Amino acid sequence: MPDGQRRVHNRLAVLRAERGLSRKQLADKLGINYQTIGYIERGDYNPSLELALTIAELFRLPIEAIFSLKPMTPLSEEIFRESPAETR
Amino acid sequence: MNTTTTRGIEYLSQSRRRLLVAAALAGYPVAVAVLAALKHTGLNRWLILALYLLLLLPTVATLAVSIRYARGRIDGRCARLDERDLALRQQAYALSHRVLAAILIAVTAVTEIYLTSGNTLQLDASTFWPATMWVIVYIPALPSLMLAWIEADQPADA
Repeated sequence: MPDGQRRVHNRLAVLRAERGLSRKQLADKLGINYQTIGYIERGDYNPSLELALTIAELFRLPIEAIFSLKPMTPLSEEIFRESPAETR
Repeated sequence: MNTTTTRGIEYLSQSRRRLLVAAALAGYPVAVAVLAALKHTGLNRWLILALYLLLLLPTVATLAVSIRYARGRIDGRCARLDERDLALRQQAYALSHRVLAAILIAVTAVTEIYLTSGNTLQLDASTFWPATMWVIVYIPALPSLMLAWIEADQPADA
């Protein structure tokens, strides 16, 4: 990642695994190289706003559910926090 | 095309690539310096030439591997450059400019100091030849070398 650039954390690997998509399959859907997915997942490359929005659209999730400037908490933890009544 | 070799080069770790780039950059100046030093000895001309070529061999090899690594991504001949490739290419060109500027400033400064110390510089075809070769080989290759230098290790397949 270029010097001075903030790391953008993401849940791409989790979402991809959840939907049973390989890096290659996801990359083909997004029209990018499969290595780029790996670099994004590892935090070595921050996607452009256009790509981030395309990824959010593909997963049908708000962009902030996938990308964040702060480290991501586990999805299960967030779901529990959001709907404690349902889990009781 | 040997796909095994291509894959091997593609998957070289960043530390190995950096070693190759360093060897490619340092190899030619070292070979020229050794040649210049050997010229003043009584060694056989053919032996000097053989030693020079022997020193050049690793430079050519490392240069070739580094260029091969970035092939298609620097010259834009790769059909599918995505946004990361384009960003990486920009970074490689920017770093090439910085490296080139640093080399030119260093060479100019050393030459200036040498000349202001009362020395003279005799420029003829044989003296200028290494500089010409350096410009012809390294300036076009520099962005590829820098790309091989900056790109992080490939993520493991998943």
